[in-house]
Amino acid sequence: MEVENKQQVNRFTVPIGPQHPALKEPGHFLITVEGEIVTDATVRLGYAHRGIERAVEERSWVQSMYILERVCGICSHIHATAYALGVEKLAEVEVPPRAQAIRVLVAEMERIHSHLLWLGVAAHEAGFDTLFMYSWRDRETVMDLLEGLTGNRVNYSANVLGGVKCDVDEAQADAIRQGLEFLEERTHHYLNVVTTDALFLQRTRGVGTMTRTQAELLGATGPTARASGVKRDVRVDAPYAAYDDYPAHMVIETNGDLEARFVVRIKELFESYRIIREVLDTLPPGELTARMPRRVKAGETISRVEAPRGELFYFIKSNGTDQPERIRVRTPTICNMASVVRLAVGHQLADVPMILVGIDPCFSCNDRMVIVEGANAERRSWTWEDLRQYGIEHYHQQSA
Amino acid sequence: MDHKINPWENVLAQLKTWAVCNSPWAIHFNSGSCNGCDIEILATLTPRYDLERLGVKLQGSPRHADVLICTGPVTRQARERLLRIYEQMHEPKFVVAVGSCALSGGVFQGCYNVMGGIDQVIPVNAYIPGCPPRPEAIIDGVVKLLMSQLQPSDGHQPDPQTAEAVAS
Amino acid sequence: MTTEETLTLANDLLVNWVWSAESNRPEPNRLDVRLLSSTDLMPMVVGLRVQRLGYLAAITGLDPGPESDEMEVLYHFCAGQAVVTLRVSIPRVGGAVATLSDVIPSAEAYERELSEMFGVAVTGLRKPQHLYLPDDWPDGVYPLLKDADLSALPAAMPAALPNISKE
Repeated sequence: MEVENKQQVNRFTVPIGPQHPALKEPGHFLITVEGEIVTDATVRLGYAHRGIERAVEERSWVQSMYILERVCGICSHIHATAYALGVEKLAEVEVPPRAQAIRVLVAEMERIHSHLLWLGVAAHEAGFDTLFMYSWRDRETVMDLLEGLTGNRVNYSANVLGGVKCDVDEAQADAIRQGLEFLEERTHHYLNVVTTDALFLQRTRGVGTMTRTQAELLGATGPTARASGVKRDVRVDAPYAAYDDYPAHMVIETNGDLEARFVVRIKELFESYRIIREVLDTLPPGELTARMPRRVKAGETISRVEAPRGELFYFIKSNGTDQPERIRVRTPTICNMASVVRLAVGHQLADVPMILVGIDPCFSCNDRMVIVEGANAERRSWTWEDLRQYGIEHYHQQSA
Repeated sequence: MDHKINPWENVLAQLKTWAVCNSPWAIHFNSGSCNGCDIEILATLTPRYDLERLGVKLQGSPRHADVLICTGPVTRQARERLLRIYEQMHEPKFVVAVGSCALSGGVFQGCYNVMGGIDQVIPVNAYIPGCPPRPEAIIDGVVKLLMSQLQPSDGHQPDPQTAEAVAS
Repeated sequence: MTTEETLTLANDLLVNWVWSAESNRPEPNRLDVRLLSSTDLMPMVVGLRVQRLGYLAAITGLDPGPESDEMEVLYHFCAGQAVVTLRVSIPRVGGAVATLSDVIPSAEAYERELSEMFGVAVTGLRKPQHLYLPDDWPDGVYPLLKDADLSALPAAMPAALPNISKE
């Protein structure tokens, strides 16, 4: 009698999406596991695809700004900045230095809010709701500062074609400095937590490791790549806006595991605090906007900026009219998605939520699904919450 | 045809309303938004706004939910999921559309992959405008919805204690 | 290597050596290389890889409109501040390019998007399914072509399922 001793192979459909309080974007992962180990993974996107590249061809340059700001609510300013910089280059408009500096100021504040947001979401994935609550409470500080500066907590709309809308006065500058002091102290605490908390390290140290070669080959970008030792940061490689005057320093880690990704983002917070202070101390006087023509000169340009998640690439083509001919938006998460899919293979199912969240996925920027294929057997459908819970319980049992 | 009104039905109806309004369980769905509204909804759970102290619990399964908080202009890919979730919820159920996109498609009105608002797909009970609406506005909208349930149109007076509890 | 050195190296590699191509400098930090034959694409990409010159940042489809027979596919390679763009011209309808994903795995996602948005066949692509467009998207409708007929989209689903009443 033949004994079937092959381990049971299961194919899981893990829809991430509506029922997921922390991972707010809709997406679809199909994961195949053999026993506990992931053998294949795919992503399928499309839930947040709104047809923006088409939409801008039917709108004016000014209207397109509003749509592009809303590609992503978390990194709205950087999208608008990339767009504005590109269009201003085409139109040969010289933006006043004060406006460029304020752009950098808001961009770094956005980076702070985005990294703190991510810290909370990642902590939630690991089951650390306390850290989630604390980091989001602290994040309210920077939301208040952004609101004081621009009038809105999210979708600040600080950019106009030709400059910025909002100015910084002394009172606001002082408020920002105060807020940063508070945040800096808290950030030291978070750095301590992610590098010393035993339970946390169990889920992050040595997990999801991506070597430098893999990172380069898979096209990873942003903190995900820098955590694997890849020295790439658009603010340093190709300074834009006022980054020539307020240079950023790259934060590099070499371990390439989840812990490294946490450390890189937290250390980048310190970098942001430093840059903001420099901008506030030496903000150049002058105008906030330059005159923009309604029709933009024909031509093509490429605008690259460093979004909180990595390199954001805009290709803008004008045909001399008041409507864009073509705008190609290549957002960072699509680059990092490939790495997630590869990384998941060989890991335990319990590690999948953390691996995904480690790249700081912004689905609305990319809107993708991941589907993992595997061998036969029944298909079970898990919610993301199930998967996340599974991961938490798995590690809880291990440490018991 | 006349039938006797079972007095228990009134009691049960009031009990259900009280339960829903005092502690609604909510489920959140993103039908393709830019996440701006979603992070503000999430912010309502965090210490500054803390919706949970009002009894609103955001959790995962549609089968346990009373309120569906929905964002996004409903992309074609998402509309099936949205309908499924709506179907799986038990009565009484309410739908709250959060953000300009959920109301009418927002800036994405007319885009090829977008239906143009939640009410193109399912009936909506409350609309909360904003891009995104502040957490205070979201809470206000949800409370207004619950308050409106406490004043049923058949003339029954809401229990004053319940009304006070929800309003606080 | 400075930006200027990078661009000069790229020019020497891609234009002045083995393959037929034309190049120009539309902006100080950019080199555009127009391939005269689309079969040169893969060898050029391998050449860039061997020289470790830049990384593939994006792939852009460019449709001039129905008056033209051809469209372009742009491959952008970034090295520091320098951007080298390989431009391939293919027929607007029924055009094809070879996949880069065997050499550059991250190209797969960009190529899937190019394919579904412009109708460009990417030969050798392992998983050519839709990346962004919904499952029920009609065949033959490519949203980013200038003359795409978007009225052919499936009619909106009924506003509610039969058993959902709008009160």
